[in-house]
Amino acid sequence: MKEIKLKGLDQSVFYEELSSGLKVYMVPYPNKSNYAMHYIAKYGSTNTTFIPVGKDKMIKVPDGSAHFLEHKMFEQEDGVDPFTFAAKTGTSSNASTSYKTTRYYFEGNTGFCDNLDYLLTFVHHPYFTDQNVEKEKGIIAEEIMQYDDEVDWVLDEELRKAIFQKDNTRIDIGGTIESISQITKEILYDIHRTFYQPSNMILVISGHFDCEEALEVIKHNQALKEAVTNEKIIEEKIKEPKEVNLKKKEIEFNIVNTKVAYGIKIPLKEVKDRYKFNLYLGLMNNIVFGLSSRFRERMKQLKLMTSFYLEREIIGDYLILTYIADSKDPERFVQEIKKELANMDIQEEELERLKKVWISSEVVMVDNIVMTLENMVYDIITYGDIIPNKVDIFRSLNKEELDKTLNSIDFSNASMVVVHPKKA
Amino acid sequence: MNYKKIDMGSYQLHFIQTDRFKTITVRVCLRDKIVKEEITLRNFLTTFLTYSTDTYRSKRELVLKAQDLYAVNAYTKSYRAGRFNMISFYLSMLNEKYTEKGMLSASLDFLADIIFHPNFYDEEKFQEAFQYLYQSMETSIKGLKENPTLYSAVRMLEEMDKDAPYAYHEHGYLSDLEKIDKQLLEEYYHKMISSSLVDIYVIGDFDEDEMLLYMKEKMAFETFKRPKVSQLIVHDKLPKRAKIRKEEVDGNQSKLTIGCKIGQLDEFERNYVLSIYNMILGSGSESKFFRIIREQNSMAYYVYSSLNKLDSLMLIRAGISKDNFEQVVKLIKKEMKEMATGDFKEEDIEIAQNNYLTLLKEIEDNENAIIETYLAKDLLNLGDIEERKQMIKKVTKEDIIQVAKKVKIDTIFLLEGNKEDEGN
Repeated sequence: MKEIKLKGLDQSVFYEELSSGLKVYMVPYPNKSNYAMHYIAKYGSTNTTFIPVGKDKMIKVPDGSAHFLEHKMFEQEDGVDPFTFAAKTGTSSNASTSYKTTRYYFEGNTGFCDNLDYLLTFVHHPYFTDQNVEKEKGIIAEEIMQYDDEVDWVLDEELRKAIFQKDNTRIDIGGTIESISQITKEILYDIHRTFYQPSNMILVISGHFDCEEALEVIKHNQALKEAVTNEKIIEEKIKEPKEVNLKKKEIEFNIVNTKVAYGIKIPLKEVKDRYKFNLYLGLMNNIVFGLSSRFRERMKQLKLMTSFYLEREIIGDYLILTYIADSKDPERFVQEIKKELANMDIQEEELERLKKVWISSEVVMVDNIVMTLENMVYDIITYGDIIPNKVDIFRSLNKEELDKTLNSIDFSNASMVVVHPKKA
Repeated sequence: MNYKKIDMGSYQLHFIQTDRFKTITVRVCLRDKIVKEEITLRNFLTTFLTYSTDTYRSKRELVLKAQDLYAVNAYTKSYRAGRFNMISFYLSMLNEKYTEKGMLSASLDFLADIIFHPNFYDEEKFQEAFQYLYQSMETSIKGLKENPTLYSAVRMLEEMDKDAPYAYHEHGYLSDLEKIDKQLLEEYYHKMISSSLVDIYVIGDFDEDEMLLYMKEKMAFETFKRPKVSQLIVHDKLPKRAKIRKEEVDGNQSKLTIGCKIGQLDEFERNYVLSIYNMILGSGSESKFFRIIREQNSMAYYVYSSLNKLDSLMLIRAGISKDNFEQVVKLIKKEMKEMATGDFKEEDIEIAQNNYLTLLKEIEDNENAIIETYLAKDLLNLGDIEERKQMIKKVTKEDIIQVAKKVKIDTIFLLEGNKEDEGN
């Protein structure tokens, strides 16, 4: 067990890679009452084409398979499902699927060892039958329809489709009603055997628990031992071209206020330190478009927007900057964003102020067990490892590097999606 | 954790001492009897106060000041609780131990500035804030229909009793928005600040004498009237037959909302038995609704019940396909009837009690949730955490049956999606 100190934050992470290949990260908080354990397969909606373990031919699974599988893991052969098991001690349990991961988690404050043992066991015990796979299709169809009614979801989906030409993030995480109808138990078993092997998974635990005790449970878990395959995962790699797919798209929806999303696609292939690169773009976004920006003030005076959100996301070899707003004049609003990006002049003082803010926020965040866990998972999935010296990195940010970073970017490689209210 | 209540004459000061957090959180609550015509004004005022003050006249200046105070977080919330409206000012700051001396006093000054020094004097800045907030609020009121789940609940409550406080639109009304001007805003501000019932909660690791001194100096409320109305809404008559209402909207999924009225209960029934009843029936993945409607019958992606204790209401919500409407309603009625006839197991009660205990313990890691427990003590005469742990264990099956008999369906509302046929 290796101790990794989170510098300047009074907190340590304990790490161990087990013989099964499973990587375990533990963040103990003796002073808190609750714990969270997240068991994560590095397998999400974008992993669609691969050679199943034990077979030799590449297959392509229907869209929405990862999410479907997540649902089906909650059905166990003995009839006791994980919800019931967890609920007996009042522990909450759930799961979620993203582009790159599927995660299963327990959060509670009693029965730590039993819950941990059970979490590892059920995730490695699939029980798929023709009948239970059929049954799930109805539930998931409802879920998909629900999302299709939400304008923010639709806007996000349309923007991704406009930005990416080939990448699998073009596909909805849940798939479509049509695609999930093609899912069979055989497909699910193929996926499970291939991607749910311990060497493709991470376990992250934070909160009130004992690390030694946790490791004992993990090392003795039978299901985990049996899940080892020692086979490499072979997947089809998709090459995403630099250019955006569509510069502009307009749709109509059952809404009252016009919404606009503007997404900039920035290639990361040449970037050496992606974490720092992302931080500098975060700084820029905060200073130029954030709550304390002159831009926002001006847009309000011009009545060009009411709500305004910024997002930053790394997808594959691209960083996507997204600007979403309610605006009566979306064209003009996007013009203003472009103008602002072309004439940025960030002051030393603004940068220093934001560094102070980020360092303070980091202290507050590490005080929260779930947020700490979420951030670690994000870093592991996005950057390959946890980042223990964030405070030092924040301190090291400087204007020279910031300017250099910003100057290296082509901000004009972007897509715009407008959602208009449906005409009566 | 150490709790102390101090009578400050014009308000009650609550100190909660604990070394669990790196932050100090302050919540200033202002309560007053709710008046339908004032809701919009109230919402407008609370956002205005954190938008422009006499010292920091624009949102940008306010945000910059907050950043200088090591990212202190100050915000307001306004909502209805039974017959009252509740305006809360929150301040969350890093303990001085992690920043620098003087930050506590400076942060409290910042909060006091927001509460006591609104910007009614700088006409230009006032107009700027006014115009922007007006536009935002107009957008948000008009946007209610964009959130079908919320819209369905709002419509159901209107159908139940359009004159009851629970049917008031929390977002406000366009007709009232149009009436708002500076004079009205200023009058309402003075009314709010001088006639509300005020409570101030402070939680964290702080010196009590120092804090008391700061409070006396900075939180100089001069309230002269205390509302004596009970916050609780009681239903003298329970419905004999349920109303059914339907409305069509553009969408894929249909949203079902059912409103149930709860008859006269004593304190123990309201505070404890009702919670257990709701957990067994419809809250969480162990409930009858989830198991039977979602899992066994695949008829909904989500289905759950929730309590609105101050309104003596229980709401049931489900995302369904409209063809299943009658069957889902039938199942819901059946499960409710089973509760009243005692068709549930002792084990269900035990699971619900454990759930309740786990939820209680969850509170211990969350500053705002701890404050809520002391607030609930005043609103519902609900015990503190320790007392609740003891009381919940006393709930028996017979208690639950008696409560179940007093929960009656009043209104069934279906928001019908018109696009469903394409999907299914």
